[in-house]
Amino acid sequence: MLQTTTAPGPAPTIYLVGEMDLDCADLLREAVADAARGAEMVVLDFDRVEFIDSSGTGIFVRICLDMKSQGTPLMARRLSPAVRGIFDMLRVRDLVGEEVFCD
Amino acid sequence: MSSLSHCAAILPPVPGQEGTIMSERAREAPATLRVFRYRAGDDQIRTIVGPAEPCLPEADLAVYAAEAVAGSAFMSHTVAQRDDASADDLCFVPRGNSCDILNIHTNGRRPRHSDQRRSLVDILGNLAGAVACGSLIVLDDAELATERCAGTRLLGLGIEDTAALAQAREAAGAALTDCGVHGLLRQRTVLAVSEAATNILLHGGGRGHITLRRLDDRLRFIVADQGAGLGFLNWSSMPAAASANSMGYGFKIILDYLDAVGLHSGPSGTTLILDRRTD
Repeated sequence: MLQTTTAPGPAPTIYLVGEMDLDCADLLREAVADAARGAEMVVLDFDRVEFIDSSGTGIFVRICLDMKSQGTPLMARRLSPAVRGIFDMLRVRDLVGEEVFCD
Repeated sequence: MSSLSHCAAILPPVPGQEGTIMSERAREAPATLRVFRYRAGDDQIRTIVGPAEPCLPEADLAVYAAEAVAGSAFMSHTVAQRDDASADDLCFVPRGNSCDILNIHTNGRRPRHSDQRRSLVDILGNLAGAVACGSLIVLDDAELATERCAGTRLLGLGIEDTAALAQAREAAGAALTDCGVHGLLRQRTVLAVSEAATNILLHGGGRGHITLRRLDDRLRFIVADQGAGLGFLNWSSMPAAASANSMGYGFKIILDYLDAVGLHSGPSGTTLILDRRTD
């Protein structure tokens, strides 16, 4: 299960805790949509994501591309080892752009 | 193991069959996997996965398969249909005295799909390479019946909604720990099981079952669904174009991260046998 906590501001940060799989799609979309209202960008913090699979990765990529087209970019930071491994394997940086990653 | 010399050829359409095949295939999925099996000696071609309508006459398939077996050579061919709307890519993978013939049939091919189709050819090559190396075993009905009864049953788990995914991972993780599998191997196995369970929900009719079994030298996860079969376009579609929340790489992860994978697919569903060695 994934849990989110949002720190508000011009660039709100959504802290992700738990597991990202097919089950997190609605939760993550809603959290990003809420945070994006009036924001310049939205930041996702992956430091406490313990598990992610290809579906969780696909959800992130889809939201990232949607946000870019809407003019409110999504940024990713502090990838946990589990996230970094899958993102590297699935070449996520090629899909969403290197500029999405803060570190 | 067979040598991996590689040759490719563009073969002509099957005379007299193009119109019939195209009209019957018009309603097919854009890409489908078929697997045929040849055994030296009886020269018979058996259908293991997919519809029993090979893109070449069985006698021709047998000739190519016999050549692959005789030379212990991995061979690939492309069969183009006359109207260029469909095509078949074939890999002949010798395995001792038999040969598995893997075929991805693409229907509705158009020039703008060329990149996607190249991806499918890559997928076919990856699958054939896995078969050649023994990390992917395509199972016929009898082989599935044997393999899914091997060892001792540990537990079973229904997969009917996304909440079951975490339960499947938890059960897999606990069994792996009990069997002495830790660290990266444990993580990768849990991920592969999660991918297989997700495939049930996305591509396997939305309902299925996972059974854990303990064999002497391995832990086995049997993942079964009642879906329509394997959809290989899911492997090459970008997320922005895909219809589901999937990267489409689930099966690639499964193949890369496990010691051996058994695949059985037919009209009644698909079964994956995922093995992690414990010795």
